[in-house]
Amino acid sequence: MKSAFPRAAASGMAGCHTCGKVSPVSLGKCPRCGSSLHLRKFNSIRTTIALMLAAAALYIAANILPIMTVVELGDVSTNTIVSGIKTFWRQGAYPIALVIFAASIMIPLLKMIALTWLCLAASGKLKPSPGMLGKIYWFTELLGRWSMIDIFVVGILVALVQLGNYMTITPGPGALAFAGVVVLTMLAAMSFDPRLLWDRLDLLESTHSLPNSSDS
Amino acid sequence: MHPWPQPQGGPHYSACHFCDTLHEASPLVEGTAARCQCCSAVLYQNRPASLVRSTAFALTSLILMVVVHSFPFLVMDAAAIRTNLTLASASAALIREGSPILGIVLVLFTVVTPLILAGGLLYVCLPLMFGRVAPGGFFVAKWMSKSEPWNMIEVFLLGVLVSLLKLNKVADVHFGLGFWSFAALMVSMAAAVAAIDRHEIWDRLEVAKS
Repeated sequence: MKSAFPRAAASGMAGCHTCGKVSPVSLGKCPRCGSSLHLRKFNSIRTTIALMLAAAALYIAANILPIMTVVELGDVSTNTIVSGIKTFWRQGAYPIALVIFAASIMIPLLKMIALTWLCLAASGKLKPSPGMLGKIYWFTELLGRWSMIDIFVVGILVALVQLGNYMTITPGPGALAFAGVVVLTMLAAMSFDPRLLWDRLDLLESTHSLPNSSDS
Repeated sequence: MHPWPQPQGGPHYSACHFCDTLHEASPLVEGTAARCQCCSAVLYQNRPASLVRSTAFALTSLILMVVVHSFPFLVMDAAAIRTNLTLASASAALIREGSPILGIVLVLFTVVTPLILAGGLLYVCLPLMFGRVAPGGFFVAKWMSKSEPWNMIEVFLLGVLVSLLKLNKVADVHFGLGFWSFAALMVSMAAAVAAIDRHEIWDRLEVAKS
C-alpha cells in the first residue's frame, strides 16, 4: 500500500518553521518571514545524537559532583542531587522526593532513551511506528523544561541562606553540569525532525508493496 | 473585530509540522481547529477573540512582571537576619558565589524569555487590532516564537515551593507578594500564548503589510 497522503516534500514544497507558510523549497528563503526553507531539518539525526552524547556525559558529572555546599556552624557538607532526594525521603516528604526524583533523574534519562530510540527508528535501524513514537517525542518536548527545577532550587537557597557563621550555601559544579544537561537535551529534542519517521515509513511501505503488486 | 483574514493569492496550503502531509488550508469557524488527515496533529486553530485576548493577557503579564520584580517571593527570618528573595537577588547571589553562568541562565529563563514573549505579543498584536504592523513587527514575531520553549516561570514557581519546604526546618519562611503575583503571571502568560495561533499572527501580519 503506497502512502495515501501527499507529503509536501514530494512536490518540493516546504512549510516554514517560523511562520508556517508553505512555499517551494527552491526559493531558499520564506517569502513571508525570511527564514531559510528546508524540506527536512539539516543534519537532524547527527545533530541530535551529538547533542545527546554531550548531555549524557554531563549527566554523569551532574550526578557525581555536588550541586551545592552547605557550611553550617563550621561543618561543611556537600549535597548531590541524590543526597537531596534521600534527605526529603528520610524526612517523610515523599511527594517532594518523588517530584525531584522524576524531574532530576528520571526525565533526563527517559529523554535520552527516547531520543536514541527516535534516532534509530528514523535512520531505519528500528521499526518506525510514528504514531506511538510521536507521542514519545511530544512527551519529551513537554517534560524537558521541568528538569530545571533543581537548578532553580539551588539558586533560591544560595540567595536566601547567607547567614554568616551560622549557615551559608554555595553552588557546586554539579549544578552547572546539570543546567547543561537540561539545555542540551532540549536542543537535542528541537533538532530532531519527526517527519523523518514518516519518510522512513513511506519508504518501507513502498518497497514492501512492490513485490506484492508484481505477484498479483 | 475582523475575522482571521486570508492573505492574497492562493490556494493556501498547510503542511503538517509532524508528518509533512500537504493540506489545502481553508478558513475555519471561530473556536475550531484543523487537524492533519494523516496523523491528526493540530494544523492550525481559530481561537475566539484571539487578538483582544492575546493583547489583554500580554498587557496583564507585563504589569504583573513589574509587581513580581518589586516584591519578594519568600521572606526568611533566621539568626536574627531577615532575607528577602527576589529573582534579581537570586541571580545576583549565584553570580557572587562563583556561578556566573547559572545566574545568567536563571535570569534568561525566568526574566528575559517571559519579557520577550509577553512584550513581543503586545507589540505585534496591539497594532494588528487596527490592521497595522509595528516597525520591526516581523522580526519581533520571529523571536517571540523562538523564545517560547525557553519560558520557565512555572518551573521556577515549583522551585520556590520546594525551597520553602527545604528551609522550613532551619528558619521561619513565608510567601511574599512576589510569589502570588508570579503565580498569577504564570496563568496570564499561559493564557496569552494560548489565545492566538502562530499561523493567525503571521497571516494577519502578511495582510496588514500588503
